[in-house]
Amino acid sequence: MAEWKRIFGNRRICTALLLIFLLNGFLFVREQVENDYGMDCELPAVEWVFSSDGDIELARESVDSRAVLTRYLALTDEYKGIAPSEASIFWEAEKERLAELLDTDASDETRTEYAAVNNLLAQAEYLSGYESYLLSIQESKEQLLSFSVFGDTDSFSGRNILKTAEDFEVLDSSTLTIGADGAVTALLEFTLTDYLLLVAIILGCIAFLEERKKGLWNTVHATPNGRLRLALQRTGILFFMSAFGALLFYGTNLFIGFSIYGGADDLGRAAQSVEVLGKMTIPCTVGQFLTFYLLFRIGATFLVALLLWLLFTAINNVRYTIIIAIGVLAVEYSLYTFLPVQSGWNLVKYFNIFTYISLSDLYTRYLNIDLFGYPVGIRMISEIAWLPLILLLGLVCIVIHCRKRPATGKDLLGRFAYGINRMADCMLCRLPLLGMELYKTLIIQKGVLVFALFCYLASGLSYTVSVPVSTSSEAAARQYTTELEGEITDDTLQQIELIQVELDAVIAAYSEAVVQYENGEIEYSQYDVFAREAEAAQTKSEGLAIVRERVEELCVLGNEKGFAPWLIDESRYQGTYGEEARSNQQSAAFVALMAITLLLAGSLAYEQQSGMNMLLASTLRGRGQLFRRKIALAVVITILVWAIIYGREIYVFWGVCRADTLAAAVQNLSILEDFGIVCSIRAFLIGLYLLRLLALFACAMLTMLVSAFMKRMDISYIAACGTVLLPSALYLYMGLEPLRYLSLVLPVEVMPLLTDSKGGGYVIIAVYLLLVILVGICTCSLCKK
Amino acid sequence: MQLELIDLTKKYGDFVALDHINVTFTEGIYGILGANGAGKSTTMNLLTDNIARTDGQILFDGTDILKLGKEFRRVLGYMPQQQGFYEHMTAQTFLFYMADLKGIPKRKAAQEIDSLLEITNLSHVRHRKLGGYSGGMKQRVLLCQALLGDPKVVILDEPTAGLDPKERIRIRNFISSISRGRIILLATHIVSDIESISDQILMMKTGQVVKMGEPGELLDSVADKVKEMPCPPESLEQIQAQYKVGNIFNRHGETWVRIIGDQLPEEGRYVEEHLSLEDVYLYYLGE
Repeated sequence: MAEWKRIFGNRRICTALLLIFLLNGFLFVREQVENDYGMDCELPAVEWVFSSDGDIELARESVDSRAVLTRYLALTDEYKGIAPSEASIFWEAEKERLAELLDTDASDETRTEYAAVNNLLAQAEYLSGYESYLLSIQESKEQLLSFSVFGDTDSFSGRNILKTAEDFEVLDSSTLTIGADGAVTALLEFTLTDYLLLVAIILGCIAFLEERKKGLWNTVHATPNGRLRLALQRTGILFFMSAFGALLFYGTNLFIGFSIYGGADDLGRAAQSVEVLGKMTIPCTVGQFLTFYLLFRIGATFLVALLLWLLFTAINNVRYTIIIAIGVLAVEYSLYTFLPVQSGWNLVKYFNIFTYISLSDLYTRYLNIDLFGYPVGIRMISEIAWLPLILLLGLVCIVIHCRKRPATGKDLLGRFAYGINRMADCMLCRLPLLGMELYKTLIIQKGVLVFALFCYLASGLSYTVSVPVSTSSEAAARQYTTELEGEITDDTLQQIELIQVELDAVIAAYSEAVVQYENGEIEYSQYDVFAREAEAAQTKSEGLAIVRERVEELCVLGNEKGFAPWLIDESRYQGTYGEEARSNQQSAAFVALMAITLLLAGSLAYEQQSGMNMLLASTLRGRGQLFRRKIALAVVITILVWAIIYGREIYVFWGVCRADTLAAAVQNLSILEDFGIVCSIRAFLIGLYLLRLLALFACAMLTMLVSAFMKRMDISYIAACGTVLLPSALYLYMGLEPLRYLSLVLPVEVMPLLTDSKGGGYVIIAVYLLLVILVGICTCSLCKK
Repeated sequence: MQLELIDLTKKYGDFVALDHINVTFTEGIYGILGANGAGKSTTMNLLTDNIARTDGQILFDGTDILKLGKEFRRVLGYMPQQQGFYEHMTAQTFLFYMADLKGIPKRKAAQEIDSLLEITNLSHVRHRKLGGYSGGMKQRVLLCQALLGDPKVVILDEPTAGLDPKERIRIRNFISSISRGRIILLATHIVSDIESISDQILMMKTGQVVKMGEPGELLDSVADKVKEMPCPPESLEQIQAQYKVGNIFNRHGETWVRIIGDQLPEEGRYVEEHLSLEDVYLYYLGE
């Protein structure tokens, strides 16, 4: 029991497991929301009247996914008993009716109904087509065998064709029915849980290395119960973690899935009724599948846990153990992910640790691999190999645990490591204090991993969005704005008038054509050309009116505020800095904050944890200068993060904006017309990015302040994340609006504060600046102590 | 060169850790002896300005070390008791880092590090990570860093703890050899280290200096205070309750005890030769 108490009584392990569990639940819900609850919510596109050769995009209409889901579930419940083929015909007609209705009644109710019916139709089409799908497999068998290439039933291809047909034949008697599939689909498609559970299991296995890390291995190994009994206890712990973890993680996903999508009453349907299980060749009900899946998941998790334990215990040196375990996992993952399905080596692709981690693939895909000329299903291999592997690995782990002697084992890599260290020392001894602090942060505190993660996340960020227009006249207005972009002069007004005259002429020509057509002077086809041109001219005219209005507005505003009016295509600015790009800006700010927090959270706590504080303080430069170097390091890291995130934003923006418009006054942009200081867009952007840098630096200081209070690095990371990142994460990803002003993402993105027309944003910026100074002073005074 | 502690006091709330200490250190090695909680480490921490004093002064050549600040730290070498380390650094990188913090130019630092690693017998493992060092090796690295930069005031807290006898003698002799022109304060539990190299010994108890003097003087001061006497095993407990007991040993099949105090029983015989600092320790500091 002592080992159980040691593992599960460890607050750090328990907290980490709890956090992983909560993260799983949170990400699962988020995934459902982001995927529109699996609903196709798009309505038919509005007809494109004004055609432009530019990149103007017309907004596709969509509806609220939650409302669609609710309606979809209600309809599913209502039509549950109806045969899929009948349902398919019925909903096809219903969809057409609603599509027509949308032209006259585009109310939310109609739109929601349309989207819900569209989704139901998709399900009914799948269900009604399944029989044909099964039939097509049998027909393909006959057809393919008739070809000489596949006809040889003693070859893999021929055997594979026969096996596929045979496997699917058992499903002929299955009756598929309509029902709520969402929960099962979400369970099988949310693969992140597989990896989060893996992390939880790794944490458990790492806990077994504690005695080695603390130098207690000799002592433990010398006790009467330190060998077989301890090994058995650890096997039990791993099984418990696997069973409890799998049930908890996947059970929670399933529970949340049923809460969102319903379907808990539909467990008696044939499993193939759920589209993602359409290729599973086991005739069973959804309930039976889920039971089997969860049980097999427990077994697979236990198998993975045993394999990890084996990797962790096989080598005496803890450091090498972890490196080798990471290496093995990386190789396995690469084989699993990157090896082509049809590769001759696909046995190592599917007979792989990640097959047991990504278990869902076995049930959502049908694939036979070539095993000495015979086709063997990837599911069958994994299921058959599972039990012997568990017994074998369990036995090997226990034997290794009992037989491996702590005081033996050559340090094979020791000499190699010594050589590497010698080379590193040559370089390190030349580094100045700042360089050493950078080395401590990046190498000793593993900041380089955080930095790599940061670069990966930053590479996935997008900085501009295309700002769509909702009407064709707006599209025309944007095109004219692009054409007339520049400082507003008399010439601009003249050009507008000229265009207007041209458009009026087209409309007038159409009026004449109407008369001519009525008099029979022209054919309908000629009349139609005039009509189309006039319709386009009308739209363009409306667009031009919008431009004219904007020009007049800018002239008045320019006179009032004393700046030169410019007509600017704002979509480029809006797409990068406007409300439309808000989500991008928030993500960028959050990634920057995360990088800074994780890179600096260990900075001062590391000195405490190492017990070096007293020694450092007794040296000539160990107080003020060392602290100043740490601040300098924070500045360097902040600038680096800022440059990577926002340097790319500037680069992307530079590619879409017209450089000369940067000289225009910032008030020419409608999003900034209330901005209090008259300055050029260029000056504004410089200020904006400097404010962002300042905000990031303030976060760096706050992180260091938190770090200065902490005696252990892990606690420091948790505290810094809790202080700097948690409010932002809750605000951004959980929608907790009250945390908006506690969220440090807000001062980093800055734009919402600068564009606050009521001026409240400036007050908030002032408050933030005051806080920056206070945090800076606190950090300095605390660290100097 | 002189380091003076004048009425030095340190209180933690109501607990008095150092009680108006007055000591003057000049060039030489000073051994500080005392039980746990006697105030040794507090004195060291006050000397290195790692904790704030409650009262009193520490003067280095007549100027308060707080006023001297950096100038005092420039001449200070400190080896703390607890083995605080950057475990992921190699010994060489760690020493270069410490040299940088001590403001020693790189070239000079390289020479000093080579020499110190040689003396402490660590040259052959200088590129190994400190995390893989034994306790004794870590102790030697800490000593190296304390001696970097030719410090004039060297504060060594348990410098020989964890070393094997051969290494201890080696380090002890090295400390002795560098004592000229330096003030070396050496706190330890290993009485024999102090006995063999200290010029002066400070005996501390409950935050006060109870005795200070040369080793010979201290030994003389307990010349008629130590007796050895046979003691039946059943009386051992009673003797221990009555007197400060040093060694308990067997001689000719009998159990003997070495007792220390002002009032000793009539039986037994006074020890006139082979008095040790352990006897002095027990006499002044024993309960």
